[in-house]
Amino acid sequence: MEIDLEELACLVDLLKAAEFSEFRYEKGDLRLIVRRGALSEDSPGESPTRVATIATSTIPVAQSVAISRVQGEQPAVPNRPEVPVGAVQVTAPLLGTFYGRPKPGEAPFVKVGERVERDTVLCIVEVMKLMNSVCAGQSGVLAAVHAADGQLVEFGQVLFSIVPDPS
Amino acid sequence: MKHKVFIANRGEIALRIIEACDRLGLETVLGVSAADRDSLPARRAGRALTLGSAHASESYLNINAVVQAAISSGCTALHPGYGFLSERSDVARLCADNGITFIGPLPHQLDALGDKLSARRLAESVGVPVSPGGPTASAQEALALAGRIGYPVLVKAAFGGGGRGMKLVDNAAALEQAWQLASSEAESSFGDGTVFVECFVRNAKHVEVQILGDAHGNRIHLGERECSLQYRYQKVIEEAPCAALPRETRQQLHDYALRIAAELEYVSLGTVEFLVDVDRGDTWFLEVNPRVQVEHPVTEAITGIDLVREQILVALGESLTLRQSDIRFEGHAIEARLTAQDPANGLRPSPGRLTRWRPSPVGGVRWDTHMVEGALFPPYYDALMAKVIAYGSTREDALQRLRVALARLQVEGQITNLPLLRDLLDQHAIVRNTVTTRWLEEHLGSQGVPA
Repeated sequence: MEIDLEELACLVDLLKAAEFSEFRYEKGDLRLIVRRGALSEDSPGESPTRVATIATSTIPVAQSVAISRVQGEQPAVPNRPEVPVGAVQVTAPLLGTFYGRPKPGEAPFVKVGERVERDTVLCIVEVMKLMNSVCAGQSGVLAAVHAADGQLVEFGQVLFSIVPDPS
Repeated sequence: MKHKVFIANRGEIALRIIEACDRLGLETVLGVSAADRDSLPARRAGRALTLGSAHASESYLNINAVVQAAISSGCTALHPGYGFLSERSDVARLCADNGITFIGPLPHQLDALGDKLSARRLAESVGVPVSPGGPTASAQEALALAGRIGYPVLVKAAFGGGGRGMKLVDNAAALEQAWQLASSEAESSFGDGTVFVECFVRNAKHVEVQILGDAHGNRIHLGERECSLQYRYQKVIEEAPCAALPRETRQQLHDYALRIAAELEYVSLGTVEFLVDVDRGDTWFLEVNPRVQVEHPVTEAITGIDLVREQILVALGESLTLRQSDIRFEGHAIEARLTAQDPANGLRPSPGRLTRWRPSPVGGVRWDTHMVEGALFPPYYDALMAKVIAYGSTREDALQRLRVALARLQVEGQITNLPLLRDLLDQHAIVRNTVTTRWLEEHLGSQGVPA
């Protein structure tokens, strides 16, 4: 399908003034994901706002382009995100850098709406170059991702919400 | 460059370091465990990051989490406080490898001082007397050595620190048994079964000298402290100066401490510990603590110098502006450590919720504390609640102020050693300043307190 560039420009303009870290927009088979607070690893300290990751697709699965790395100031207290009713939270088992995909440029381990099993790997938390996999711990459907790639996550910080299977 | 300091500690010392950084205009980031997320230091720091679970091994002792948190939060320096990671050369190295200034001595200095045997050799090499004794590789060697230095002797692992696992032995039969036990313990804990056998001094005063050095070859001492009032090697009351010793003895200790500092080209704040044999007048080197000491405020009180501030500045490469001739000692300071320990039950730790906490303002008394009324005192860490530091023009004056401060303190909800501290300040041995390192254990023993 065609992208309405005018509509897109209008959206981006609106987003410039808005407070958010991740924006997802779907219309027909168009998916738009905009993340903010992105920067590369070799320029720490700066926190430019980058509008990135426009993904269009003709197939049902969206492809994310470019890994956005978020670094810098996080809230002093681990986040308490809003979680769908009935969902359980998966928290960071240790402090480190969050990565939702095996390697930059690859697809995420799991996407919102996908099924996960107890041993499904959801993300990696890197501590001093040591990679630690985080598993779902329960089966269900991934309802939300609360951390962005490259972000420092604290011990106990909520990373994912999963709606468990009815028992 | 604008510095940002990561504080890898908790409790009152974290608060003390945050305060020093605030006054220097340095931003702070505190690494906390999940149990300390709502602690006073976590609220006072510029930012607090949860390193791991309540258990120290997962948080305060988790080197990778600590250094990762310092890097990710943009810190340029790391202050380890005391205990935890403060004497770890591997942490100092990891910091250096990641462009972070470790606020402490250089890694090779930590190595040299962390090993008791190399520290003793260092002291001996510059003519500082060490206690009779040495490492032994077999029980036979230990028996021969003990025969030369005379019983009783202390037996302990040659490697690994602190007073843990020390055994006092009165005769050859007991030595053989204690040696085997200490050796196998040392083997399993430190991978080396070497056992240290040392002359035991019954009537000793524990005296330590504060040293401070910069990276430009300037080194000074800030006088001595006396910390003889101990319970199983845990200090309870400390003071400065050590009024019980003659001036010449004290000057001798200052000189010894500076010799050791010079030999190491010591950079940072440190404490050189000595034992003084009251009966024979001998002085012996014990060890060097390469970090800020719990009892540093008594030295600050009599010198007027902010030691933590100086420690941070020299670590950041500044030259010491203080010269030895600038250091003046005035008055007397005494510190009492208020802890969550039950004096009626062998000073057993007693964590709980602090339902009432009302220190009373008393002239000349400083409170270094992270206590907050209503807060839960976690059971995972050491029992220190507050350091109460009284300053007076004389020792008697300081003692009296400390008595008033402790008498007016209102603390409820958890058992503390407050009754013990109040009792101690009226004891003749303390008032007359004749306490030696075994005195408190004997005093409590005579009161029927289970040891």
